[in-house]
Amino acid sequence: MATYAEMQQIYDDIRGDFRYDHELNGCLNCGICTATCPSAQFYDYSPREIVQLLWTENVEQIYDAMQEKIWACAQCMTCAARCPFKNSPGGLVAIMREVAIKHEMQSAKDVLRPFGRVMLKLITTGNQLSPDMIQPDHFPDWGPNIQKVEGDLRLLRKAIPVKTLQTVDTAWEVSLKTSVEMYTIWEMTGVLRSLELMDENLFDVIEDFIDEKREDYEDWLEEQEEDEEDDD
Amino acid sequence: MGDTVLVVGAGPAGLSAAANVTAAGYKVVMVEKEEVLGGAPILSGYARLVPSGEWAKDAIGRMVSRVEEDANCTVHKNAKVTQLDGEAGNFTATLSNGETVKAGAVVLATGFTHFDSINKPEWGFGTYEDVLTTTQMEQMVSSGKIICPSDGRVPERVAILLCVGSRDRQIGREWCSKICCTVSANLAMEIKEISPGTDVFIYYMDIRTYGLYEDKFYWKSQEEFKTKFVKARIAEVTASGDGRLLVKGEDTLVKRPIVIPFDIVVHAIGMDPNEDNPEISRIFGVGLEKHGFIERAEHYTNTCGTTRRGIYSCGAAYAPETIDDSISQGAAAGARAVADLHALVRKAG
Repeated sequence: MATYAEMQQIYDDIRGDFRYDHELNGCLNCGICTATCPSAQFYDYSPREIVQLLWTENVEQIYDAMQEKIWACAQCMTCAARCPFKNSPGGLVAIMREVAIKHEMQSAKDVLRPFGRVMLKLITTGNQLSPDMIQPDHFPDWGPNIQKVEGDLRLLRKAIPVKTLQTVDTAWEVSLKTSVEMYTIWEMTGVLRSLELMDENLFDVIEDFIDEKREDYEDWLEEQEEDEEDDD
Repeated sequence: MGDTVLVVGAGPAGLSAAANVTAAGYKVVMVEKEEVLGGAPILSGYARLVPSGEWAKDAIGRMVSRVEEDANCTVHKNAKVTQLDGEAGNFTATLSNGETVKAGAVVLATGFTHFDSINKPEWGFGTYEDVLTTTQMEQMVSSGKIICPSDGRVPERVAILLCVGSRDRQIGREWCSKICCTVSANLAMEIKEISPGTDVFIYYMDIRTYGLYEDKFYWKSQEEFKTKFVKARIAEVTASGDGRLLVKGEDTLVKRPIVIPFDIVVHAIGMDPNEDNPEISRIFGVGLEKHGFIERAEHYTNTCGTTRRGIYSCGAAYAPETIDDSISQGAAAGARAVADLHALVRKAG
């Protein structure tokens, strides 16, 4: 359990985010956000409650909501599209999640751990769900639509007039250059720092992978230069 | 001429302005774009008015005949002002019917436009036959029969959604339309009176039955007519399999999302600035305030003024307004116009 001063600091960090005043203008307690929220139908989560806690600066309850509730939001932002004040409860949740990570909250680590594999796949291949992973047995909820992905996937994929989509073992082909650029973006925007705070082991694995890819890219660049020199 | 006031718009405010000008001994030329006089209460077929309880056709009808029978009031129906030349004390207006009117002062009683519910598609108007607006429901009350338009059955439950087209930054309506809370509480009582088996629910963000409307409408509708007030803004209206409507909201007191079946859903539509205001602003040379209503001059000593000398305004042209207050403001605007004419007379004398 955090001290009051720690909880106050967490609130101050949320309140101090540059997006905060844009996402929260006031609240009439009308409940349209919670009424429209898909997560609120299934979980103990209410966007109106999040907005009210922040609006009334209830630091203890805010801390409490950050243990589990804020992780139930699917970030679909329907709440933001409906609020008559143009608040964005989903946007506020995004800020709260970032602050939870910054403060290395155990709750954040627990919630995010199952996503480690997804993260690894995402960062190493640039995408996660590939066509050959979609097996009818794995997706009973698709019903008869599953037939659409049965058959000759390779042929079907070739029919897509986008070059990067003509692959079946990844969702799409990510070029080495794009990958390396993404690593730079994640590094500079603090994504990798967040990962390090949440899961040091996973971060080490991913960091090694990134270093390798960067070397590959440097090698490739050198090869290009050599080819050019040969041409001269 | 120096003895005439041009009144534009023949709703409650304009009819009141005209009657007060002629009562003071001056002449009125009234221009109304529609075929009939009476404004929104007559054109939209309002039922009983708040707070008098009189039928609109009787109450506003009296105002109309008072003006129509007035020898000092010339009425141009089906006409618009297309051009206004001159200045305070000496205006010349050209009308769409080819007439020219000379007037010493102008009163703009140009009113408002009802919010078009099509602009909130998630609430089902235009998609489902049993989703109506308050004006349509008023017409149903006037007909004396409460039935579902889809199949003519008597509704078990009617939901009235407040703030449709009001207090909504998402669609650029950053104002309270002022009358809908009281009108809806009144409508709920009228529905119950005609159809005692029908339960009425009102979904609200805040209830603004201000002043003397509190006990006469808000309390009475709960205590005597068992209207249920639920603090919730509805997320969406959809259809159930059995021909009813599903209303999705959060009961903010119980704190859970709820889906409730209804037979009729009524939108308590708000008051938009008159859709002709850009044209009115251009022709009369008056400014509009940021929401698009006629801009009010400094109010304390230039009551009913606009941004142009000699042109006055009143009622819902300025902002959402009640019928009673529109009538009072019309009288005030008429008094300002008369004072201008009187000053001209003294100057000439």
